[in-house]
Amino acid sequence: MNRRGMIGLAAGVLAGLFARRPGAAAPVLRPPGALPPGEFERACIGCLRCAEVCPTRAIRFPGGTGLDAGHPFLALREAACVLCMACTEVCPTGALARIPAQLERIATEVRIGVPVLDRKSCLPWSGQGVCRLCAYVCPMGPRAVELVGPQQAPLFHAAGCVGCGLCEEACPEDARAIRIVPAGAAAGGSP
Amino acid sequence: MLGRGTSIAMSIVARKHRRRRLNHRGTHRARALLQPWDLAPRGGRTYQRVRRTVLALSLFTVVATPFLAARFLDRAWPAGLIVGATGSARVLGIELVDPLLSAAVWLARGARPGLLAAALPVLLLVIVLGRFFCGWLCPYLPLLALSHSVRWALGKLGVPLLDLRLPGWLRFAVLGTVLAGSAALGVQLAALVYPPALLARTAYRLAFGLGVGGGATVLAAVWLFDTTISRAGFCRSICPGGALFSLLGAASPVRVRRVESRCTDCTVCDVVCNLGQRPMSDLVDAGCDRCGRCVAVCPTRALSLSLDGRPP
Repeated sequence: MNRRGMIGLAAGVLAGLFARRPGAAAPVLRPPGALPPGEFERACIGCLRCAEVCPTRAIRFPGGTGLDAGHPFLALREAACVLCMACTEVCPTGALARIPAQLERIATEVRIGVPVLDRKSCLPWSGQGVCRLCAYVCPMGPRAVELVGPQQAPLFHAAGCVGCGLCEEACPEDARAIRIVPAGAAAGGSP
Repeated sequence: MLGRGTSIAMSIVARKHRRRRLNHRGTHRARALLQPWDLAPRGGRTYQRVRRTVLALSLFTVVATPFLAARFLDRAWPAGLIVGATGSARVLGIELVDPLLSAAVWLARGARPGLLAAALPVLLLVIVLGRFFCGWLCPYLPLLALSHSVRWALGKLGVPLLDLRLPGWLRFAVLGTVLAGSAALGVQLAALVYPPALLARTAYRLAFGLGVGGGATVLAAVWLFDTTISRAGFCRSICPGGALFSLLGAASPVRVRRVESRCTDCTVCDVVCNLGQRPMSDLVDAGCDRCGRCVAVCPTRALSLSLDGRPP
């Protein structure tokens, strides 16, 4: 290959990289303590330490060859974060800021995502019964989820929620009404 | 390029008849070298055996750690002796970070003392030993040896193989692109093209039952490139890690040295080198990974790895 061919190839690769800039992609859920979107991708080297220590295996790495392939995300649909903060302790670059596993520190510093409730699927809101599971498992208590009305229907407060996904995991199989979404994502459904 | 091995073999045969001195055990070793399965030193010297063992252990550790971690969390190895993967690890209680990834974060986010401290042990070794990581620790090397074997087997079967010689400066261009691109794009790119990181990610995905993933695709592309297009071409001319280690280890006092009076110009050292160095002509630069294969294959023991300022 001559020099011109190689420069052309390099330009092609670069153009491909720029075309797949992850900022254009939908924001994803990052592990607790993650720097804000943009800053996080700049700092994370994809060393896998966080995934290695995650006790619930909620921290995953994407499968594709895209630019985000080296960055962890939380698969809260499959497993919740139990806020052990082990990932923030092992992160070598500070992409996950170190936060001690203390309720008050977690309540103020961790913002994985915000809860979105689909009232049509939620058992109390749709008049199918009293459930209370989400409120029962929530580590943040009433500041994140309040039970209202005679059927004790959940009312989520995004400001008090850390986005650990325990409620999403606890929500009954035939309802699956709760979804934790990235804070930046446009929230569908009512809180 | 294809005819090169044959012509070298013929020239060695010619020399054998011309010069009696070459007609000893070493010559037979040198001739055997040109057909063997991967141009690897057969038998080799003791430190070549040590090197191959270290490399096999390196790959084993990278693959086994996530499998153990999948069951025992960070207590994978007894007492947590080894935690982590190639990008960042705690080995015997010492926190280590890959210098390439560390440098990329520095450029993207500014100086971070913790990161420098974690990169320091490897950095110091690189400054003293040069680009030794590529020859003595990189977990990709066992796969490269496999690539050589496949290359040899395909050659035997008559499959035409290219041996493209990309220019040496290309790897510095790749390094610059990766570092500057990471800072400009705001995404760390090194882990997406750096074989040790790709290997670690692939092993992790397999261990955690997540399928093979994109890292394996890139890794396979690298391996196929080395196998069919350019022998060890990725290591030689593309790998950004190798480029960084070349730069940092440029002043290393450990070098391959040649005793001219013993050299018979047989070119075996030049042929055996993965990284395009030419010890026979004393053309060895910072791209040398100090693997010592040229030293081990030299039929007349004209080469040695030694320190500057000492007689070879």
